[in-house]
Amino acid sequence: MLRVPGSLEKTIEKRMAWKRTLQRFNNPVILKEIRSWMRTSQAFAVLTVYLIVISLIVFIVYQVTLASTSNPASDPNFRQTVGKAIFGTVVILELLLAALIGPALTSGAVSSERERRTFDLLRTTTLSARSFVLGKLGAALLYLILLIVAAMPIESIAFLLGGVGLAEILISSLMMIVCALFFCSLGLFFSSFMRRTLGSTVGAYVVIVLSVILLVVAFVLIFMNPNLCDARSAANDLPCQKTLIVIVWILASTNPLLAAGISESMLTQSQNAIMATMPLGSNLSVSLPLPWIPLVGLYIILSVFMIWASIHFVSRPDQ
Amino acid sequence: MSDIVEIRSLSKQFGRRRAVDQLDLTVGQGEIFGLVGPNGAGKTTTLLMLVTLLRPDHGEIKVSGFSVAREPRAVRALIGFIPDVFGLYGNLTVAEYLDFFGACYGIASEQRRRLIGELLELVSISHRREDMVDTLSRGLQQRLALARVLMHDPQVLVLDEPASGLDPRARVEIRQLLIAIAKRGKTIIFSSHVLADVAELCSRVGILEQGRLVACGTLDQLNRQAAPHRFVRIELMQGANASDSQQLLASVPAVSHIRLKKEEAGADRIIFEVEFQGNEAALNQMLVRLLEKGLPIVHFGEVAQTLEDVFMQSTQGIVS
Repeated sequence: MLRVPGSLEKTIEKRMAWKRTLQRFNNPVILKEIRSWMRTSQAFAVLTVYLIVISLIVFIVYQVTLASTSNPASDPNFRQTVGKAIFGTVVILELLLAALIGPALTSGAVSSERERRTFDLLRTTTLSARSFVLGKLGAALLYLILLIVAAMPIESIAFLLGGVGLAEILISSLMMIVCALFFCSLGLFFSSFMRRTLGSTVGAYVVIVLSVILLVVAFVLIFMNPNLCDARSAANDLPCQKTLIVIVWILASTNPLLAAGISESMLTQSQNAIMATMPLGSNLSVSLPLPWIPLVGLYIILSVFMIWASIHFVSRPDQ
Repeated sequence: MSDIVEIRSLSKQFGRRRAVDQLDLTVGQGEIFGLVGPNGAGKTTTLLMLVTLLRPDHGEIKVSGFSVAREPRAVRALIGFIPDVFGLYGNLTVAEYLDFFGACYGIASEQRRRLIGELLELVSISHRREDMVDTLSRGLQQRLALARVLMHDPQVLVLDEPASGLDPRARVEIRQLLIAIAKRGKTIIFSSHVLADVAELCSRVGILEQGRLVACGTLDQLNRQAAPHRFVRIELMQGANASDSQQLLASVPAVSHIRLKKEEAGADRIIFEVEFQGNEAALNQMLVRLLEKGLPIVHFGEVAQTLEDVFMQSTQGIVS
């Protein structure tokens, strides 16, 4: 009989243990979902349209920046200005993408299984509700990551031009991942307790329209109000200024588009990626964390809650 | 034969409607058990509770000793379920579909590959292995569903209306397939409206009405339960005197009722259907006596009750 040397036996044992650990993370739902989704024409249509839209918008931003500079060749900051503008545009577009496409990918995750009558089949297997929900979420996140990665060549134009720091890249990447997680979890949450995909899609988008788009519109309308600007400029009206700052901070901390825009602007001004200090009158100032920090915290907490609730709804037997 | 499924005092109510009412039932290992009943009798509700999809209001179900309510995961490993509408993923191939469900049961990939080949051979669709599921006919989809439930080698197969929507040929093929699967030692529990299928396949039958089990047993037991009297068909040669023959039959002690089947007698024979009480010896005595009296008998045989007769006698057609 062939004897396996001790060292080789250990290596094989280590590899087997590694394989067993990997198998623990092997989720059949992810593979099935990706396989099914990538066989549809929609998957490629979404990717193509998304890249065309981003490219066009980046081109327009470049042209507008070019037109607003009197003599680009002599302006030493021109390249950085264009780089920053392109980077900011791509980040905002990707956050919007996460908000609009994320729920579309998951709002039918559970309800469509119910409609197709495959949900009962899955529930009679030994697949846990947690694996099922995480598989659905993982597949949606992977597709969103594919879209983000596909846009990287366009985003990299900004890196070539310069003006974008490491902190901005890291913060925007973190925000992107957390927002993708949040919006996918939102669709999944509605899908897990609503019986129809139409209902869950409408539910998820109502939340998005109210919390993301309307909030930005309200923010712009409030701060474009000339009366408010007068009040803001009244140097000795400290309580009013404090209230305004807190309102801005709360709005920005709950909305990814505002958080990205305001964090970027504060980061450029103060060169501090964590805290921002705002002057109040002559001697006073207020220090607050940049909006991206509470936003990331809030979205992670809400995502975890929605994933937990989805698992709960999926695992309970029918009454 | 040990019981693999035990159902005790099972009840389920939907609003005011009692779908299942104090149901007691056991199914033995290796049995093919058919559950029949009118629409709304509680067949599907019972099966859904058995396969862990519906929570009972009262009572208990055990599969191989595991409680469905307390150990659903252990029960799921022991059962395979095909609902009346067998949900399929249309944009997966036949092999991918089976592979996905195998993975859901935690079967290793090498084993899954081997199993898929074997099961597709068993259900005779290995030639469609790489075809998309939505290109299969309904009959082939039913075969695929059967292959799916066998992936994790369950002890009990639960099928809700397996023949529904199938053409006659596909129905016969599925029936043969179920017999082949039962020969592998699997217990099969199924509900059906097609009584001919149930009669042909099942070793035992349960008749449900308004959530209650109104009759249960082998076909013989059900026949006796539904009709304690036996029926004998006697055909006499043409030219025999019908009224004399009827008087003679009436004189036999075991005979309780005689019916002259005139509509069939139109041909060339006189046909009586005789209801009598008694065992095989009494039946033999009756024949001997009739022959001694010179009755020109050309056919003498007991009329077997069909499941349909038993079903009609056991149920009242009340829908809950």
